Parts: sequence; C-alpha cells; structure tokens
Amino acid sequence: MSGAATQLPGAVAGPVIRAEGLTKTFGAFTAVDAISFEVAAGEIFGFLGANGAGKTTAMRMLCGLLTPSGGVASVAGFDVGREPEAIKRRIGYMSQKFSLYDDLTVRENIRFYGGVYGLRTTEIRAKTEALLGRLGLAHERDALVGSLPLGWKQKLAFSVALLHDPAVVFLDEPTGGVDPITRRQFWDLLYEAAARGVTVFITTHYLDEAEYCDRVSIMVDGRMAALDTPAGLKQQFGAADMNEVFLQLARGAKNTE
Amino acid sequence: MRIVWFLLEKEFHQLRRNRTLLLLLLAPVVQLLVLSNAANYEIRNLNLVVVDQDHSPAARRLVDKFQYTPYFRLVAVRPSVRAAEQDLLRDRADVVLVVPRHFERALVRERRADVQLLVNALNSVKAGLAGSYAASIVQAYQGEARPATVAAVLAGRGGLEVVPAYWYNPRLNYKTFMVPGLIFQIMTLIVMFLATLNIVREKEIGTIEQLNVTPIRKWQFMLGKLLPFWLAGFYQLSVGLLVARLVFQVPLVGSLPLLYAATALYLTVPLGIGLLISASSRTQQQALFVAFFFLIIFVLLSGLFTPIEYMPAWAQALDRLNPLAYIIRIARMVLLKGSTARDIAGPLGALLLLALTVNALAVWRYRKTSG
Repeated sequence: MSGAATQLPGAVAGPVIRAEGLTKTFGAFTAVDAISFEVAAGEIFGFLGANGAGKTTAMRMLCGLLTPSGGVASVAGFDVGREPEAIKRRIGYMSQKFSLYDDLTVRENIRFYGGVYGLRTTEIRAKTEALLGRLGLAHERDALVGSLPLGWKQKLAFSVALLHDPAVVFLDEPTGGVDPITRRQFWDLLYEAAARGVTVFITTHYLDEAEYCDRVSIMVDGRMAALDTPAGLKQQFGAADMNEVFLQLARGAKNTE
Repeated sequence: MRIVWFLLEKEFHQLRRNRTLLLLLLAPVVQLLVLSNAANYEIRNLNLVVVDQDHSPAARRLVDKFQYTPYFRLVAVRPSVRAAEQDLLRDRADVVLVVPRHFERALVRERRADVQLLVNALNSVKAGLAGSYAASIVQAYQGEARPATVAAVLAGRGGLEVVPAYWYNPRLNYKTFMVPGLIFQIMTLIVMFLATLNIVREKEIGTIEQLNVTPIRKWQFMLGKLLPFWLAGFYQLSVGLLVARLVFQVPLVGSLPLLYAATALYLTVPLGIGLLISASSRTQQQALFVAFFFLIIFVLLSGLFTPIEYMPAWAQALDRLNPLAYIIRIARMVLLKGSTARDIAGPLGALLLLALTVNALAVWRYRKTSG
C-alpha cells in the first residue's frame, strides 16, 4: 500500500488547480464572480466564506458537477467546462451531505466505490484491508455504515474518496457536527494524504481548521476577498487569529443565507 | 460492463436489507388473488323487493322463479309501490318487481301479462345486468305459461334459435379474461413505483452527487438502476402465471417464451418512464405524485376494466401511447388464443417505439453535470 501512492496517475507538472476569471451566474444572480487562483500539488487549500458566499458553487464547478458561465479553470490538466468526465477520474470528492451508503456495510461501500472507479478486484481487496487497518475499523468491516458514529463515517468517507489515488480531493465541509478531537484526527488523515502528494481542497466553517491549511482563500459575495497563508492573512489584517480575519472580511457581505 | 456489475451488486445488497423486498415478492401474489376475485362482472344476489298486488298462484310462481336463480335474493315483500320506493332510496333494493292486479287473469285470457320492474340505476352496469336478468326470467315465465300448442305454433313461425359458440373462452369465465391483464397491471404498478423512488432516494440522501463525481457513464448508471427491477418484473410474471394456472385454471395455450420476450421489451417502458420521472424530480413526494398520475391513466385506459372499443375516439387515440394497453392485448392474445409473434407484431412494434423514445428521453434528461 505504501508504495502504491507514490506514483499518482493524475500527477501533472505545475499547478494542479488553476482558475482564471471563473464565473457562475444563475439568472441575474452572480454566485461566483470571476475568481482566479492556483493550487500546487500536495497543498492543503482552505476555501472559506459565509453561507451563500459561493464556496460550494465554485467547488462544484471544479469537480465537473456544474458548467461555468465564464472564465476558465483546469483541474489535473483538464478543462472544467469541456472535459468534466476526465476530471472525475482524477479527483476524489466528499460532500457535506454524507456520501457513503448507510445500508451497505463498510466493506461493501469500499468495494462499490473501488469498482466504480475501475479498480481490479485484487486491488480492491488489498486496499480494503490496508484502509481498514489504518482506520482501526477491521472489526467493523461487516457493520452497516449507518450504525457507525459520525466521526468514523467521515474518516471512512475520506479514505474511500482517496481509494483510486486521485490527484486532488475536494472536501465540502467534511467535519460538520463532530467534536474537536475527532476533527483533529480527521486532519491527521488530511496531512498524511497531502504528504503523499494529494492536493487537498477543503471548504470549512471552522476557523481553527483554517489555521491548519497551507493557504486560505476567503470568499465574500462570490469574489475572492483574500488569499494567503494563515500567517500572511493575520499580518495583513492585523488580526490575532483567523476568526478576526474572517469577521473583518465577512462583515461587509451582502449575500448571506 | 464491469461497472454495471458493481452497481447491480450494490442494488441487490440494498434491496436485500430493505423492507420493500417483501412488497416486491409478496404483493403480486396477494394482489392477484384479491383482485381476480374482486374484479367480477357477474352479479349475484341482487336484492329483490316484491310488490304483489295480485296475490295469485301465478304471481307466486313468478316470484319463485326469481328466487330459484342465483342472481336474485328476495329481501322483502311490500304492500305498495310507495313502500318499495323507500327500499330503493335506502339502497336496500336493487330491483323492485311489481306484479299488478289481474296479472293471472291477463295471463290466462290474453296469453300475456305485464309486470313492472323498477331498477336502481345508481350503478349503470349493475342496473343493466339486473334489468336484463329480470327481463329474461319474466320472458321465460311467460313462455312456460302459454299452452303448449300455442308455444309450438309460435316457435314454428319464427323458429330461429341462435346458439352462440364462444371462442377462446367457451364458458365465458371472466377470470380467464381478467387474470392475464391483472398480472401486467400489478407488475407495472410495483416495478414503476419502486424504480422511480429508488433513484430519487439517492438524490434525497445525496449519494447521487457522489456518483456524479465518479467516472460512471450515464448508460451504466441507468442500466444498473433498470436491471434489478427488470428482473423483478420477470419474477412477477412467473409468479403471476403460476397463480393463474394453479389457482384460477386459466388455460395457457400460447407460447410462454414469446410472452417472456414481449415482457422483456415491455418492462423497459415503465422503467424508462420511472427513470425519466426521477431524473426530473427532487423529492420522493414529487416523483410519487407524477408516477401516480401516469399509472392511473395507464390502468384506467388499459382496456382491463373497460373495453378500449367503448372509449371515445380521443381516449382511444391516447391509448396509442399507453404501454399497458399494448401488453395486456399481447398477453391476452398469446395466453388465451395462442397468437404467434407475427400476430402480435403490431403492438410489439408500438412498444419498441415507446421504449426507445422514453429511454432516450431519460438518458437525455439525466445530467451528471448541470448547467
């Protein structure tokens, strides 16, 4: 298992995610307003913003779930607007709505997603064992996912999203509703993945989590209001922590839910 | 195809753990048993109220005649028509037989006598049957009451008796006619509802979004969703035919392979419609309502309960789009008449067209990437 992750099939030279003037309008409403940024391989990129700021819309465009209205973006070397299906082979995704099947067992879920991504049966079997061992879920392999505690489900969902060794993993508020200790454990998994070269693109509401990111962008009203390392942002806004940075930026927002 | 296999495996795991499985397995049997006995066009035990104003032996014999048939049950004898009307009003009587004064005298002197029948026509089908049963009893009675010689002369004069031969269902057993149609009606209901709800459920839970970010192709996803319910349809056909044969003694004279082949094609239509509905709905409620809208039209216009030929021209035109009408016709033709593939080519072709259209629409409507 340890050797399998070193050579990523989606590895590309240069930035893994690149957006330029990426825009999404719904009728007269501009949800994402010409955002531009780049994310390097192995980076943990935090995507912050109040509800309604356009985070999820932007992320859905990058995942190939939503066609952009304007601008260009590429993920793992493929164009978001024209080659969404090629992108889907190279990314992992974990949504804020919980994304494993509650009525399948742990093993059945892993097998299903492995199969859907075209992994061979022997590969699936090996990865299942490795994954269960790493998460300490070996005894729960035949338990229904619906019966697991939320924190375990989240860790499992993240590991399943990495099953096919994607170049980028997109996480949409992955740690909602769990305690700080469980969240910290979840972040250990993120660091492990990033250390293996996987780019992590994460939206979150928790500003302490923003501190863990390599770089953080903050969206306000569909625009990217700030983008820097957590230390850089705090310095720029003369703030003690990310919470303060966020409040300064978000206070002027018009589009909130 | 490997990916479709993984999808199927997942669906069967989920189905196995779901209580709807019970519905899928048992409902066709229970419904067929119940509906076949309930959807009855023979009427027995009609409530008869008699107003005998003649009080003669002849009148009593006529009333006896009514009672000897299984169709009528004497519930009351009233002194006046007015009292009998009360029975009609309260739905206690289906038919009121009024034997007028001098009934016997007229019968003897003029060789004919009139009686009055008041029929409760709230339900026109029932009223029509009740009226004609009663009329034929009265007619037969008058025939007997005539002296033998007169009857012979009358018979010799106009002596033409029609003896009908009923083909394909010689004893006019309504179950023979209903059961093949019911099998497909029940199959369509269950299979279409379950398929529709299945996909919308994934939308509600959010797992569909997870699938949409995988490299699954549309056709793989749809095949993975269609196949389990397609197979369920075959199970329902097989169980239905067994019940038809063993419980209702429906003669299965035609080719079963032909019927299974037609079913294979047919099932893709309601399943395609289910996919189309679920691709266009956000919640199970929405999907259920739309599916129900279509199903009720399919069933009522299917020719199962009312012959399509009785329907107005616009309804008959609408039926050209009704898959259930085609398959019920096919099922009756193949099972009861032994029709061959050539005989059912027309409705089969129509089903093929419907199947292609509906499924093309479903594939077009289902989007992995939205605008």
